Amino acid sequence: MTDEFVAIFMFVSMLALLSTGQRVFAAIGFVASGAVLLLYGTGGVEIPFSQAFKLFNWFPMLTLPLFIYMGYVLSESGIADDLYRMLHIWFGRVRGGLAIGTIVLMVIISAMNGLSVAGMAIGATIALPAMLKRGYDKVLISGVVQGGSSLGILVPPSVVLVLYGMIARQPVSQLWLAGVFPGLLMAAMFIVYVMVRCRINPALAPVLSDEELSMPLSEKLALLRAGIIPFLIFFTMTGLFVMGYTSLVESSAVGATSATIAAAWKRRLSFGMIHETARKTLAISCMFLWLILAALAFGAVFDGIGAVRAIESLFITRWDLTPWQVIIMMQISFIIMGMFLDDTAMLVIVAPLYIPLVKGLDLGIDNQLIWFGVLYTMTCQIAYITPPFGYNLFLMRALAPKEIGLLDIYRSIWPFVLMMAATIALVMIFPQIALWLPETVKAR
Amino acid sequence: MGGLIRGYVRWIDRLSDYVGYVAMYLIFAMVAVLLLDAVTRNVIQIPLHWPVELTQFTLAAYYFMGGPITLKNNDHVRMDLFYENLSDKGKARMDLLTIGCLMFYLMVMFIGSISSLEYAIETGERRFSMWNPSVIPIKILMVGCIGLMILQTLSLICKHVATLRGADLT
Repeated sequence: MTDEFVAIFMFVSMLALLSTGQRVFAAIGFVASGAVLLLYGTGGVEIPFSQAFKLFNWFPMLTLPLFIYMGYVLSESGIADDLYRMLHIWFGRVRGGLAIGTIVLMVIISAMNGLSVAGMAIGATIALPAMLKRGYDKVLISGVVQGGSSLGILVPPSVVLVLYGMIARQPVSQLWLAGVFPGLLMAAMFIVYVMVRCRINPALAPVLSDEELSMPLSEKLALLRAGIIPFLIFFTMTGLFVMGYTSLVESSAVGATSATIAAAWKRRLSFGMIHETARKTLAISCMFLWLILAALAFGAVFDGIGAVRAIESLFITRWDLTPWQVIIMMQISFIIMGMFLDDTAMLVIVAPLYIPLVKGLDLGIDNQLIWFGVLYTMTCQIAYITPPFGYNLFLMRALAPKEIGLLDIYRSIWPFVLMMAATIALVMIFPQIALWLPETVKAR
Repeated sequence: MGGLIRGYVRWIDRLSDYVGYVAMYLIFAMVAVLLLDAVTRNVIQIPLHWPVELTQFTLAAYYFMGGPITLKNNDHVRMDLFYENLSDKGKARMDLLTIGCLMFYLMVMFIGSISSLEYAIETGERRFSMWNPSVIPIKILMVGCIGLMILQTLSLICKHVATLRGADLT
């Protein structure tokens, strides 16, 4: 049995098991521990468990439960309601204004949280019902919420970039800064798309009635206060971290605390809400962490059979690809695998295989691994929203109002996938979009 | 026999819940310790060396202790393309077919954790750091939690069988 055969066999049996609907971590863990016993006999029995200590040493992982907690508190705190009301009034007169306001809202939420869960929950429970009520096209707005919330992992803070940073051994602050402009570029593309679609077909997005929007200017200005709390949260968390006052894990604790204080300020804090939030946080954190644990065991087997070298020889020796073709191949394989594989598992299993290879490629870019991290995160975004397997798709189905069916959701995402792919292409052609900000801050 | 199984399922579910409730609130312990770290270093200029490590231990306890309750509440993500369209009985049947995978993984984890704990006790293993804490307590906790996850998996099997027979154990 050759190593290549083992690797392919593991992948295929994992996919087969996943399709039965068994828990993803169980499927991956089973294949990994089975392979360990087959390859190394009973001597390998400690390998799956010892991954718990590998995970233990990845201390930036501490940010994960804290960001999840923060996301839930933010969506319960009523901050988003105020923000949405503000954007509603200020963008109401523009064609497609509510959809544009939703994208802006998603960017603000993304700047406060490192996962797409919070944006998704807020978008599906606040923005979607409001837009449906005013006769917006449901396919358009479902895409807006999904595309917009996926910005959560690209705009700092970002948990995906934390995970990437651990695997690639790159500084998280640089990675976060590198995500800023690609994220804003993508958001701008979404906004232009909505404006163009609504200009061509005004029936998609009716303009709000005057009586709903008319209010004295002073009141309109007062609504802007809704932006103060999000700015403070962003500043205490990401600001203090980038300025070097808090470490990464401390900043996530500061963020969690400031979100809790904000909720208390808005009088949304109660024992019931805290209990419920802690319960949901535990459920989601355990899901992620057990998945990563199982995927690490899987990765350890790949490591043991020298899969990195196998891929290197496949891409460079056998297929004779140029460095740029290798990068493009990687992106395409990420997107295809991301459709079928769990995205977190994919990161933990596949990224360690690709990163050493990227490190050695001569692309003429400084900070190549930081740049690749941003590219990688954007492919993750695509993976998040593409069927059949995408977290945002699952969440959307669970959270969205009943009028929006599965088919609407599936139909709504493809323009956003294309725009994300376009952003990836732009960042590949002009690496400075990602790298300018981190380099400038570093040089200072 | 039926009463025995019913009792087993009830007790294990309750135990998973209680362990999970404790785990839930560990998140606030993590926040508090990290805040303490940030404040002592920046405000009163006394850098501490143990808070991050203590939080690492807490995180390990957090997701191991949360393991049984997340299994019980079915909170783990599944690739539910086909699965979702099955009836309740169909889901139970499918789960019974594949739950052996979960059991196998947990058993390998369990055996691995015991052998790792034995090693830690024999050698008095400590973490290599300034704080230098013993790893024996966390390993004992991990062994216990994986054990409870195995018991919880058995309880899940009982529930699936009951669903197929049209009974309800919960």
